[in-house]
Amino acid sequence: MIQRRSREGSTEPLALEVEGLTVTYGKEPALWNADVRLGRGSLAAVVGPNGAGKSTLLKAALGVVPRVSGRVRVLGEDPARRRRLVAYVPQRTSVDWDFPTTVLDVVMMGTYGRLGWFRRPGREERAMALGALEQMELADLADRQISELSGGQQQRVFLARALVQDAEVYFMDEPFAGVDAVTEQSVASLMGHLAQRGKTILSVHHDLATVPRYFEHAVLLNRVVQAVGTVKEVFHRGNLDRLYGGRVPADVPELAST
Amino acid sequence: MSAPWVELDPTLVVVAAGTTAVGAVSGALGCFAYLRRQGLVGDVVSHSALLGVVGAFVLAHALTGSASRSLAVLVPGALIAGTASLALARSVSNRTRLNDDASLGVMLSIFFGGGLFLLRWVQRQSPPIPGHTGLEDYIFGMAAAMTRADLWMVFSLGGGALLLLLLLWKELKVFTFDPDFSRSLGLPSYRLDLLMMALLVAGVVIGIQTVGVILMIALLVTPAAAARQWTSRLSTMVLLAASFGAAAGAGGALLSASEAGLPTGPVVVLLATAIFALSLLLAPRRGLIARARARRTLGSTPPPAAGGAA
Repeated sequence: MIQRRSREGSTEPLALEVEGLTVTYGKEPALWNADVRLGRGSLAAVVGPNGAGKSTLLKAALGVVPRVSGRVRVLGEDPARRRRLVAYVPQRTSVDWDFPTTVLDVVMMGTYGRLGWFRRPGREERAMALGALEQMELADLADRQISELSGGQQQRVFLARALVQDAEVYFMDEPFAGVDAVTEQSVASLMGHLAQRGKTILSVHHDLATVPRYFEHAVLLNRVVQAVGTVKEVFHRGNLDRLYGGRVPADVPELAST
Repeated sequence: MSAPWVELDPTLVVVAAGTTAVGAVSGALGCFAYLRRQGLVGDVVSHSALLGVVGAFVLAHALTGSASRSLAVLVPGALIAGTASLALARSVSNRTRLNDDASLGVMLSIFFGGGLFLLRWVQRQSPPIPGHTGLEDYIFGMAAAMTRADLWMVFSLGGGALLLLLLLWKELKVFTFDPDFSRSLGLPSYRLDLLMMALLVAGVVIGIQTVGVILMIALLVTPAAAARQWTSRLSTMVLLAASFGAAAGAGGALLSASEAGLPTGPVVVLLATAIFALSLLLAPRRGLIARARARRTLGSTPPPAAGGAA
């Protein structure tokens, strides 16, 4: 459990509280009785083998996929009542980048939650989107058709959209997957900035080698949660051997041994 | 002294207004079906509508004694049959190992076959049911049969569908582009999905009198596919597709009126196809010619979307 005491000394609500979360696709359990608790300002990686339910954990916490059982609380409330405090960065490859729309338009989708039904984004929303694009160093691509973007640029567009949501808790699904070095740096520094400002990040991450560099906390998941804690506490050889059934990808450096 | 419009055949005015409206509505609604890759869904709806049309005719005759081929009777039948076949296809693919395409195909066969069967049964009744001749026109379309009342049906149903599209524009856009993200915003995906289906059904149903159940899918998908070649903005795409559909509809009505024996529906569809072929060839950037040219100059200048890892 990761929890921080606020300055007044009283415990503030956890950023994310997942209890006994179970999700099934058909008859197969994708996620089994998962418990994850993250305090505000946590910068947490979800790691685990393929098919471990990493994306499912995010989607079920967001209410994007239905849960069979379990309880989710975002900042102490039902996530359905905290939608505007939550941002989601889906896997980049989950959408059709040949969709007829522009970079600015995709980023403005981050304002749709705040706008509510029927209302159209206006000047203010446009300005917010442009600001987020500037932050992701994409300002000059605002009017670009999205099919013309590189993988790294696509990822930064998705992150800009999440920034526009101006949330407290960010769920990210493999924001580092298949991006160039420039994008990797800007994703990492964005996460760092957000966490410094007390925002909470839960991000699916594939590259075990970079977990200690980019994250402070780790959720080790293989359909069941094996460990949650700071990277120092839980991200070690013994846990990873257990997580990957002794087949830890070889490129993991300097792991503390148990 | 008479203005030229006075000499226009009033029947032709009704028919041309009808086919133009049908083309515009199905062009606009077809964009979302195209982008969601639901062309097959539209095809299933339109084929299934035959059973609904003939069924509604039979039911109206049985209940009231007088048979009617007005759209006010037949459209609800088509709506019910189209929706029912989709709902059945979905529950089949949810409950069996059949995938979506297969179960849609099965429903298309069952409903269209059923429609043909019922149609033949109606035609063989003796004494014949008055008004049954003309029912078979729903297979290939018979725009000339459109009445003023039918035209109002097309306007109100089509206008209602377009109004919903306009009102829920940003919701439908984000749901089509990124369904998971739209769910994370709290948008009700199940209901939006149903609404999309309903809009598609409405688009199909108002068009089957004009182009018939078999060719209807062409009027949904072809203008959208043509429009996609010219633009990279959804709003422009929808407007263009509506214009292409309207042009094909108007052109089809006028051509078939000027040349005796030309069937309106197929002419409308052929015109839409011609627009699509031209777009495929000529459109800037996406067009075949533009892409061939870009490929030729590829050696000297880099493509616009260079840089970054995939």
